Amino acid sequence: MLLNPDSLKPIYMQIAEWLELEILRGSIASDEKIYSQYQLAEMFNINPATAAKGLSMLVEENLLYKKRGLGMFVAPQAKERIRTKRINESLQQLVLEVVAEAGRLHVPREELVRMIEMAEQSFAEGE
Amino acid sequence: MICIESESLAKSFGKFKAVNNLSFSIEENKITGLVGRNGAGKTTLLKLLAGYLLPSSGEVRVFGQTPFNNLHVAANLIFIDDQLELPDNLNLGETLAAIGQFYANWRAELARGLLDYFSLQPQQYYANLSKGMKSSLKMIIGIAARCPLTIFDEPTVGMDVAVRKDFYRALLKDFMQYPRTIIFSSHLLSEIEELLDDLLLIKAGEKYLHLPLDELKGYAVGFTGQASIINKMITPEQILYQRQLGKDSIYLVARNTFNQEILQQARLQGVEISPVATDDLSIYLTAQHKGGIDNVFSRT
Repeated sequence: MLLNPDSLKPIYMQIAEWLELEILRGSIASDEKIYSQYQLAEMFNINPATAAKGLSMLVEENLLYKKRGLGMFVAPQAKERIRTKRINESLQQLVLEVVAEAGRLHVPREELVRMIEMAEQSFAEGE
Repeated sequence: MICIESESLAKSFGKFKAVNNLSFSIEENKITGLVGRNGAGKTTLLKLLAGYLLPSSGEVRVFGQTPFNNLHVAANLIFIDDQLELPDNLNLGETLAAIGQFYANWRAELARGLLDYFSLQPQQYYANLSKGMKSSLKMIIGIAARCPLTIFDEPTVGMDVAVRKDFYRALLKDFMQYPRTIIFSSHLLSEIEELLDDLLLIKAGEKYLHLPLDELKGYAVGFTGQASIINKMITPEQILYQRQLGKDSIYLVARNTFNQEILQQARLQGVEISPVATDDLSIYLTAQHKGGIDNVFSRT
């Protein structure tokens, strides 16, 4: 993944979100060590202090924990908590925008539901 | 630890104030980007820091000392710009060996490795290099010197984009191995922003902004949509840039003081909200006129 320089989100937040995705996809399990700030700086070509800020954001949310001298690890249940958080924040926001756009275009509800079903189908085919 | 401190620093050339009432401090081991328009005073400021110029008034301290005529500062600092002259009678290998003697932390192998990577031969002579290759050589010197204070003034002039990107990465990698204070002036903010800790933006010789780069992203937002809706949300002081689109639509960039709910409401009313690219933002912030170049033409 490359960082999106056009995003409103600061780079450290994009890093935090990328780490969340890694946990969500299961590529780093609970109690497993996560990337260090220097590894992240290397991977994304960013200032190591920015990478550290992304990590500490997840520590503050208790999605990561520190082990003195060993680095940072994924908290138990981090995956489930990230899922809940994303549903409540990003997914709901996206749904709201879809509904608003449908309203502006006078697309009735049934039509919108049908479109979602079609999208589900093409997503399943693409997988 | 503070590496650089300046207090009401000013430098005039005749009646022209190149640097005016500039106060700021830069922490040790951070990478700071210095941006500003042509003639904003960037190079003058850097020369004051390097001790090449004596301030007209005010004070500047580097490593706690006045840099002008100061051996301690000179020994711990390197200033790379396109006026840096290198000898014609030594080849590149000899040049690097000679320069290395002046810097305590000089990394000869790194210099050789970079020379090789950027296809420069130790037997070549500086005078015969292309513009981009001259810049490459200077950048190699700047990195390999590992000076506690490393100043690059427009170091990438003439380099192609692939070479620039390699250099940014080389600088970052060496910075991680050996942290030091770096100041990097460039017109290509979007290319270097990810490397930076902080940004110092100057306008007409004065400090305009000095902030962590993260905060720059959220500093302003762009709105596209009906003028009547957008104008209701915004006070005139917040406007950084504005352009008419079509009959009653505008694109407007405003200082971001909005909370999520207000932005959300605007979005639901059909206003498109977009981030402002850092390059564009720095243009708007340093502009003399809010309408930009269009103003010149609308008068006729």
